[in-house]
Amino acid sequence: MNHQCYGCNTCKSADKPLEGFIRSLPMETSHHRVDTQKTKCGFGLQGVCCRLCANGPCRITPSSPRGICGANADTIVARNFLRAVASGSGCYIHIVENTALNLKKTAQTKGELKGMESLNHLAEIFGIEESDDYVKAEKVADAVLADLYKPEYVKAELVEKIAYAPRVKRWKELNIMPGGAKSEVFKGVVKCSTNLNSDPVDMLTDCLKLGISTGVYGLTLTNLLNDVLLGQPKLRQAPVGMRVIDPDYINIMITGHQHTIFVDLQDKLISPEAVKKAQAAGAKGFKLVGCTCVGQDLQLRGAHYTEVFDGHAGNNYTSEAILATGAIDAVLSEFNCTLPGIEPICDELKIKQICLDDVAKKANAELLPFNFDEREDQSWLIIDKIVDAYKERRGNVPLNLMEDHGNDNTLTGVSEGSLKDFLGGSWKPLIDLIVSGDIKGIAGVVGCSNLTAGGHDVLTVELTKELISRDIIVLTAGCSSGGIENCGLMTPDAAKYAGPKLRAVCEKLGIPPVLNFGPCLAIGRLEIVATEIAETLGVDLPQLPLVLSAAQWLEEQALADGCFGLALGLPLHLGLPPFVTGSPAAVKVLTEDMKSLTGGQVIINPDAKESADILEQIILDKRSGLQI
Amino acid sequence: MRHIIIGAGAAGIQAAKTIRALQPDAAIIMVSTDEHVHSRCMLHKYLSHERDEAALSFIPEDFFEDQNIYWMNNSTVTSIDTDERTLTLTDNFQLAYDKLLIATGANSFIPPVGQFREANNVFGLRHLCDAQNIRTLADKAQKILVVGSGLVGMDAAYAFLEQGKEVTVVEMADRILPLQLDETAGNAYREQFEAHGCTFLLGRKASETVINASGSIEAVILDDGTRIDCDLVVVAAGVRPAIECVQGSKIKAERFIEVDKYLMTSCNHVYAAGDVAGISGIWPNAMKQGETAAYNMCGIPMEYTDRYAMKNTMNFYGITTLSLGRGVAQEGDTVLVRHDSKSYQRAIIRDNKLDSILLQGPIDYSGVYQYVIKNQINLSQLTTDVFQLSFADFYGVDKRGQYMYP
Amino acid sequence: MKRIFIDAAKCDGCKNCTVACMQAHRADTGTVYDLNLMDIRNESRNHIVITADGNYKPIFCRHCDQPECVLSCMSGALSKDPESGHVLYDENKCGSCFMCVMNCPYGVLKPDTATRTKVIKCDFCQHDPEGPSCVRACPK
Repeated sequence: MNHQCYGCNTCKSADKPLEGFIRSLPMETSHHRVDTQKTKCGFGLQGVCCRLCANGPCRITPSSPRGICGANADTIVARNFLRAVASGSGCYIHIVENTALNLKKTAQTKGELKGMESLNHLAEIFGIEESDDYVKAEKVADAVLADLYKPEYVKAELVEKIAYAPRVKRWKELNIMPGGAKSEVFKGVVKCSTNLNSDPVDMLTDCLKLGISTGVYGLTLTNLLNDVLLGQPKLRQAPVGMRVIDPDYINIMITGHQHTIFVDLQDKLISPEAVKKAQAAGAKGFKLVGCTCVGQDLQLRGAHYTEVFDGHAGNNYTSEAILATGAIDAVLSEFNCTLPGIEPICDELKIKQICLDDVAKKANAELLPFNFDEREDQSWLIIDKIVDAYKERRGNVPLNLMEDHGNDNTLTGVSEGSLKDFLGGSWKPLIDLIVSGDIKGIAGVVGCSNLTAGGHDVLTVELTKELISRDIIVLTAGCSSGGIENCGLMTPDAAKYAGPKLRAVCEKLGIPPVLNFGPCLAIGRLEIVATEIAETLGVDLPQLPLVLSAAQWLEEQALADGCFGLALGLPLHLGLPPFVTGSPAAVKVLTEDMKSLTGGQVIINPDAKESADILEQIILDKRSGLQI
Repeated sequence: MRHIIIGAGAAGIQAAKTIRALQPDAAIIMVSTDEHVHSRCMLHKYLSHERDEAALSFIPEDFFEDQNIYWMNNSTVTSIDTDERTLTLTDNFQLAYDKLLIATGANSFIPPVGQFREANNVFGLRHLCDAQNIRTLADKAQKILVVGSGLVGMDAAYAFLEQGKEVTVVEMADRILPLQLDETAGNAYREQFEAHGCTFLLGRKASETVINASGSIEAVILDDGTRIDCDLVVVAAGVRPAIECVQGSKIKAERFIEVDKYLMTSCNHVYAAGDVAGISGIWPNAMKQGETAAYNMCGIPMEYTDRYAMKNTMNFYGITTLSLGRGVAQEGDTVLVRHDSKSYQRAIIRDNKLDSILLQGPIDYSGVYQYVIKNQINLSQLTTDVFQLSFADFYGVDKRGQYMYP
Repeated sequence: MKRIFIDAAKCDGCKNCTVACMQAHRADTGTVYDLNLMDIRNESRNHIVITADGNYKPIFCRHCDQPECVLSCMSGALSKDPESGHVLYDENKCGSCFMCVMNCPYGVLKPDTATRTKVIKCDFCQHDPEGPSCVRACPK
């Protein structure tokens, strides 16, 4: 075991106890590597390095303003950006495809459907009339799959049914209605390949198209399909942070985005037979420890899983620390954000790694691709392997718990449904508060967590504090939720950080000023909330006093999400530029021209206060546009 | 120890600076005819009103105080007694020296054409006083004749064109800048100068002058009978070493003062550097000679080695040119020429070694060529194209991080 | 005196030093994200040459002990600071003759591309208390 002290060079974290914990660890984590990777390539940062052909890499400089092929900065940046967005879209489409397939197979085998309300809601939107719930569920799944598999030249059908009508109208005017979602990804990667498209505007337009298919299918529909299989979110207060880890149990950390893969396992883990296996090994039973977005999704539906789920311990860049407690016996991963950096830690602490989807195969993990038909056998196999790991490691591996990390009363389970129910079945109370100015506006602080925008969750948390202090209510989705909740901003007590008006609202309702919608997929839920509010008011989305911030966006998926936000016509703040600033055309389209295209705009600013000032001003402008 | 330096040009100043560094306590006296220390190579910027007297200086304002040097300006040495080790100034003031450096430079050569030498509106362009005289007249003049299209002539012509004057340049050779450039490279400048209103008369010599009652030349007649009316004539027909101060002394000098490899003259304790020594009178070499002489004057023997003077750069109208070597091909030479929309490049290779190179257009990072030519590097050992040579082809770094050639 | 030490064997030609130098000497303000990489006024004082055998040779001003550029300067624009040892360039004094470009034995200097009136010369990041930007930008 490597006891070298890496201490002094870890990056900052908004979560100070976590920062101290990571600094004290005897092993290296991503937080340590920020320092050794701090020298960034200027060409890469600006997106003007092209290695699409054997003549490359070509880089743009004042004395070499074009690549060998003649591509200028605009072309290079747009190609790189489209490639990233297509890739990110592909990730979400993979998730929704598996989710729909799991729903379909569950329906075919007459398995449990926990969210009947969601099923009926979907059937209604899709125009499916069917009395048998299983047939209905199968038809819903088929409708989604049919769209996913359409060619690019056949328009997807559900977009018009899911998206807000004024938006659809605008998208048609802009000719950005997507075809089949998988084919759009295919088209995108073709378009940005070597010596094909060189038109930055054309490529950025495709990004919007990909944004729409990502948002409608990958985000919104994934949530609703998940609701059918896993149960609708319910409001409740829950513990968060590393305190949720109970060393008396066999603990399984889950990472990824595909919650439906765990349906059978979740049930098996609390079966008497499994508990008996755990007890025979010396543990009280099994617990799932939430990490990354699949953990957020489980937390969101935690009311249905109180027995098997311990709580959400942390986001992507907390995963190494969670493992370092020594109390995790296995990692089950099925998608990102499963950091490669957990591998040496798992090796060192003898933590069993199992991958359930080969797209996220980790180098030293065992691959057990989820197979619906063999799910029960697979669940038992997984349980046995984890019990073996537990027996081998416990007692031999030191525990380094952090029992007071996080808090016990984070409000979770917020969704478009649970929030509306809380408000009495209508958005009117919220709209009234906005009109009266008690709530100045809404900010979605969404997306990932990264380590470079000030440090781990630093900009996210600072910006959130700035926004609520200006009476702007914050809704979160993604790893941003994980950081913000561990910092305590989602407890009712956090009302004290809000501006006087928002604080009064929160205290009256007993809610925090930051509402946790869960995983990044739930950006789709925020879209539903926004759409329903806009519908009630009879306005289009860009008119709402609503802004988005992916302050600490990390991945290509976030860029696809961001394109959805732009297609929706929303202002989108990013803490760090998405490798586009080398192109004057891309910068102009994203930050200026987008306003007249979709109504959206990208705002790039790494400073929390300045960013909050800009977002507040936009909200004020939108308010005056609505004459409120 | 008392050092006296005659002349406050590049060689003199560099010598003084070097002596001071070597002998912090020595007395250093500088005697100069010039009132101001000035860079002769910047005089055209005075003509064009870009710089005033002070801005022509190439030393810090407090140079003499800071270096503890006693400077006698407006003083000319009339005679040197090498036996007594004294020198006499115009006002009969006498100075004694332990070591003497003569760095008086050179004066413009005014050819005996018509009444060039007598007229009151004909000037060379060598000293600040020349430039001052020229500028006083030029400000009122409209038509200016420049005799000679070397660098000094072209610098002057450029300055006058910038002032909106009508400028005619007469050149004996059939092309401009004949010593530095070939016809192609010269034409690039010629086109620019002509576009800015300059008239060139090539392959012509001035042969007669028309002088008026007040002693000014009104017109110059060329060898083909062409008459050029002018208000002012600037003669840029070369320089002659300024050896006046050694006349009547034991210091051996014919056209220039003779020096040995330590830059010592025929007399002990007396050294010469820069144009007056006739070795290689261009700025960087004058500076090095001043430095070398200083070492020897301080008793540290140092040979002067850098006799390579066939080098120049120029920059008119945004066209930069570097020229190294004589640029004249002999039988058996390989001449490489590259001409594209942005540049003109010409190299002469003799016995596998670079003899001359001319780069017009981008001259970025071209410092390496002087090394290659001076040291007669065998090019056949290099795989790099001759026009693409860089220090990377020789790259060496010593322990102190200083680059070095292998 | 201080000198930037270069281990050419470690150089990968990433040009991060070049970008850092451009950023350190840009006329406007901003971050490396918005440094205009197409503006010829943003010039680097260092450059990297790849040799025929595929090795990278970083060419950086050595602030030489015997600076040939200073000896060749006819306007007094170049001088060697006796205290720091750095060879400094005063743009306002420069006569744009480019004798220094020709006389630098290591081919470090160049005229500025945009106006050809100045020399692009390393100033050892005098303005920055943290020292030369290129050094901090080097990933090796």
